[in-house]
Amino acid sequence: MKNEEVRILLGNVAIARGIIESGCHVVTSYPGTPSSEIIPAVVSFKKELGLDTYIEWSTNEKVAFDNALAASLTGKRAAVAMKQVGLNVASDSLMSSAYTGVVGGLVVISCDDPGPHSSQTEQDSRFYAMFAKIPVFDPSTPQEAKEMVKAAFELSEEFQIPVLLRPTIRVSHGKQNVKLEPPRILDRPADFVKDPARWAATPRFRLILHTKLNEILSKIQEKFEKDTRWNVEVGSPRNYTLGIITCSSSFVAILDLLEEFGLNEDISLLKIGTPYPLPKKKIAEYIKRHDKVLVIEEPDSVIELLINDKSKVLGRLSGHVPLQGELSPEVLYGILSQLLSDLGIAKLEMISDPELEKLVEDLDLPVRRPTLCAGCPERAAFFAIKKAFPKGIYPSDIGCYTLGLNLGAVDTVLDMGAGITFASGFYQAYHQDGNDIPIISTMGDSTFYHSGTSSLLNAVYNNARFILVILDNEITAMTGMQPTPGIGITADGSEGQSIPLEELIRGCGIQWLRTIDPYDVKELLSLLKEAREYTQKEDGGIAVIVARHPCLIRYPDVCQEKPVKVTITEECNGCMYCVDFFECPALKPDKEEDLVRIDRTLCTDCGVCVQVCPREAIVPAETKGKNS
Amino acid sequence: MIKTQIILAGIGGQGILFASRIFSELGLKLGLNVLGSETHGMSQRGGSVLSHLKLGNFHSPLIHTGAADILYSFAEEETYRSLKFLRNGGVCFVNLENSKRFDPAILSHLKGKKVGFRTFDANEAAAQIGFARSTNIVLIGYSVGTGLIPFVYDDIKSALESVSRKKELEVNLKAFEIGFLKGKS
Ligand code: SF4
Ligand code: SF4
Repeated sequence: MKNEEVRILLGNVAIARGIIESGCHVVTSYPGTPSSEIIPAVVSFKKELGLDTYIEWSTNEKVAFDNALAASLTGKRAAVAMKQVGLNVASDSLMSSAYTGVVGGLVVISCDDPGPHSSQTEQDSRFYAMFAKIPVFDPSTPQEAKEMVKAAFELSEEFQIPVLLRPTIRVSHGKQNVKLEPPRILDRPADFVKDPARWAATPRFRLILHTKLNEILSKIQEKFEKDTRWNVEVGSPRNYTLGIITCSSSFVAILDLLEEFGLNEDISLLKIGTPYPLPKKKIAEYIKRHDKVLVIEEPDSVIELLINDKSKVLGRLSGHVPLQGELSPEVLYGILSQLLSDLGIAKLEMISDPELEKLVEDLDLPVRRPTLCAGCPERAAFFAIKKAFPKGIYPSDIGCYTLGLNLGAVDTVLDMGAGITFASGFYQAYHQDGNDIPIISTMGDSTFYHSGTSSLLNAVYNNARFILVILDNEITAMTGMQPTPGIGITADGSEGQSIPLEELIRGCGIQWLRTIDPYDVKELLSLLKEAREYTQKEDGGIAVIVARHPCLIRYPDVCQEKPVKVTITEECNGCMYCVDFFECPALKPDKEEDLVRIDRTLCTDCGVCVQVCPREAIVPAETKGKNS
Repeated sequence: MIKTQIILAGIGGQGILFASRIFSELGLKLGLNVLGSETHGMSQRGGSVLSHLKLGNFHSPLIHTGAADILYSFAEEETYRSLKFLRNGGVCFVNLENSKRFDPAILSHLKGKKVGFRTFDANEAAAQIGFARSTNIVLIGYSVGTGLIPFVYDDIKSALESVSRKKELEVNLKAFEIGFLKGKS
């Protein structure tokens, strides 16, 4: 490799590069936006550089965490990546591992999603670092993220403690020209040294470990106090009216704003790259030199809460910074211009154009809500479920199929696995009063592997009754097409052992199990009725239907085996039933003609809409098999 | 020193990420800092896609309202939504069907802001050469042809060559050329 190679890298790819450049041996993850691109990038660097890094898509975040931690116990370097809510799943392991510590460096990457753009909460992973008492690095750009990964490994090994890297979505999904360096090659054969007082510590030893942890933490804090690489003051260190303490993506956004509006002479910036344990002395010294100090961080307030003397501090606690939502440049600009005018420092011009915004608003543009793809098998399944049980309760789960919302066939989305636990919970609550209503739970294949089995075991064990439809598209689609244990391909494309869903479901004690292609809506409808009867029979129980059809995006060829070209006949009277209740994006209302047309650029020839139109106005023009 | 902020707007499947890669590569070739931000995940499923790209001495990948020098919009509705990013005196290239009319009130408002506003049916031009999926490249070629952007033909062409996959190179260059000629005329 050339010594000074520069490439444009996505933040997550830069993180992957940092992992590789650190000589990391084991990398694990469960996919989730905004973290999903890390593992594929590690795989491609591994292949490009001919390394023997072990990389796995684990079945969930806790499993990923434990596998990485075990590698670290053998002396190897390990990294585990997930999205912020994934850290909830792995938190049990995280808390305990802070006490036991690590041997080889362990870097935990948890990507935050202020906004939220693609998550169920705006939680701040830095709180987990605080909660577990481990140090955290908070990068502001892809380049810095890569460098921080390396520093995190060093710190982790120096103090034998897991280290958190917390990129926000704008770092993970930002891109930048990044300088590449050659990978380190660390020759470290696995060598687990037994030490039960640590690795199998009982509560008595846990107290000792906790004491040690506290000592380590204060040493790390001292180190962070002296650090000038990640904790940087921008502007000459003198006295200012206003200073801003900030971090991550907010730091660079503010820097751009100050430069653009010529404010960098009047306002100083202190960028904090290591928010926990917080370099408090450094911050106190900074605050001393300012009349007021604004603290800007996201998605929540960690630095602000940790500052002891808040008498000069403005932030969320003082009502100067919004309590929710992403701190976009516009929001930051709003905060700044208000404050600068209040403090009499400057009057900033307006950056928005309300007149233009009003004109656009008056156009009343249709909201482009996300929808399942044209021809998506999940749409067919939801249509059938809704049609079979219009008055049912539909607990669902996290994945593409959350978009079943649009079809009115998703009532609840809590977290990974709750599609089943909610079904059993609803059942028990109604059953207690002697009421029996149809409950139809939906869950994707990947989610079922992630956390379906424990929920289902519990439901079977406690005599719950409902219908579970597993939407098996043979991939983790939402997060960018990661393989599942069902297809048995591992992270780097090599073969793993496939674990068929049906075996797993039967293993959970399910007696009634059917598999069907949801494209056959009529057959699915009758199967759903049959399933319902089973849930009502005296010796019945939970009925499970595996609705299996490959994801069209991942497996376009499979789906083209039996294309059904559809046309719309004169029977169409523009009732819009298909648009409103099936909402395939390829079915487009033609308002002038008062009918529906097929958008050929989107239509995938799945033919499902033929079974949807009540007037039978959608018909196959020609049906061709692959061999005909 | 060049400092250029570009917004690329459209919907999933229109090749916006690829268009953004062309400009990133261009920045790299010109020795500029490159920063950008992309939409992934939920919003990609048929929703709006917005790509920010900043070339030159910037720190953050995000472009704020009223700051973009150039706006490329590949879908009419998304144009209306993303116009707010454009600065006074910026330029904007909109992929618009010949038959469609852009909202006249907004058009005259943009005139007042001295915005260079060009519409072009890139879909049709792409379809004419038989590569409906090259709309993105056609529109970029068009913008170069107009001479309204601070980048020249050779630089963008060579960036396009570097980011194109081998089997798509020929098609891409053709699409670029068609757009360029239309923009010049
Ligand atoms: S195709 Fe059928 S369902 Fe759709 S609008 Fe026409 S008549 Fe109604
Ligand atoms: S065949 Fe019908 S349901 Fe399938 S993609 Fe085309 S319009 Fe949509």
